[in-house]
Amino acid sequence: MSTKTKKLIAALAAVVLVAVMAVVFVLFREKPVEGSKAITLEVVNQAEQSKVYKVKTDAEFLRQAMEEAEGLTFSGTESEYGLMVTEVNGEKADYSVNGAYWSFYVNGDYCNYGIDTQPVEDGDAFRIVYTPAQ
Amino acid sequence: MKKKKFNITVKDIALTGVLIAVIEVCKAALSWAPNIELTSFWVIMFSLFFGKKIFFVIPAFILIEGAMYGFHLWWIMYLYIWPFLAIMTRIFRKMESAFSWAVFSGVFGLLFGFLCSLTYVPIGAWNGGFTNGVRMAFGWWVAGIPWDFVHGAGNFVLMLVLYHPITRVMKRAGRMFEETKSCN
Repeated sequence: MSTKTKKLIAALAAVVLVAVMAVVFVLFREKPVEGSKAITLEVVNQAEQSKVYKVKTDAEFLRQAMEEAEGLTFSGTESEYGLMVTEVNGEKADYSVNGAYWSFYVNGDYCNYGIDTQPVEDGDAFRIVYTPAQ
Repeated sequence: MKKKKFNITVKDIALTGVLIAVIEVCKAALSWAPNIELTSFWVIMFSLFFGKKIFFVIPAFILIEGAMYGFHLWWIMYLYIWPFLAIMTRIFRKMESAFSWAVFSGVFGLLFGFLCSLTYVPIGAWNGGFTNGVRMAFGWWVAGIPWDFVHGAGNFVLMLVLYHPITRVMKRAGRMFEETKSCN
């Protein structure tokens, strides 16, 4: 087999891989849902005290739902991945400062997306947990 | 036939330090660009030019990464991802064109998320059986696919642009390294 043919096969294999991954992403990514949803947001702080917020929202993504939760405050730094939350209800967990961070869970599983792209579905139970440095 | 012995000399230890420094400096310089990195490029180049010595460099690099950024889940991923890249490079070491190496590096970038996600299989399986592990790994991989595209494209372009100039420098550096005397 000539070098040119080998290069062509390698390039084609890469293109096929990209196509397969694109199809997998389109088919299996978590998609936002339109319409009204009832969700819960539970914040567990450094002292392991829990506070639950019940939210009725049309938000498609978690960030907007969090903004609509009465009494819940949060802030952080904007990045290409969306908002990186470093402060919840006035409590800071900044990985670059103290190694701690805010973990986000949906229905018991660790969130795979940032809060700007984490889809919200009716009945979802989110947990925002202060996770200390290990 | 007598088997060639694989000895680690003082010169090799010094070389390891320099190679890790090159990787770390490039990592810091590109830290502002999400999923654009030169670590893959250097692991490939060092595997090509310094042969089996790369298997001495990689564990030291992984250890330093853990010491600098903390021994978290990503560190477990590093334990097999970089050795895997070095082994694959050694297997394909006879390739000589920049384009072929660019495709190789690009494919590694594309598969990076998939390779990382394998760590989630035992974690998920621990909590809810093997199926839960696969579901967790799959969900994690799918969520990161857009960033794998960025990673693959970045690796492809960087290798295509840097392969020839760095190859010339590496050949010269390799000759200088071999000519330098070492105390064992």
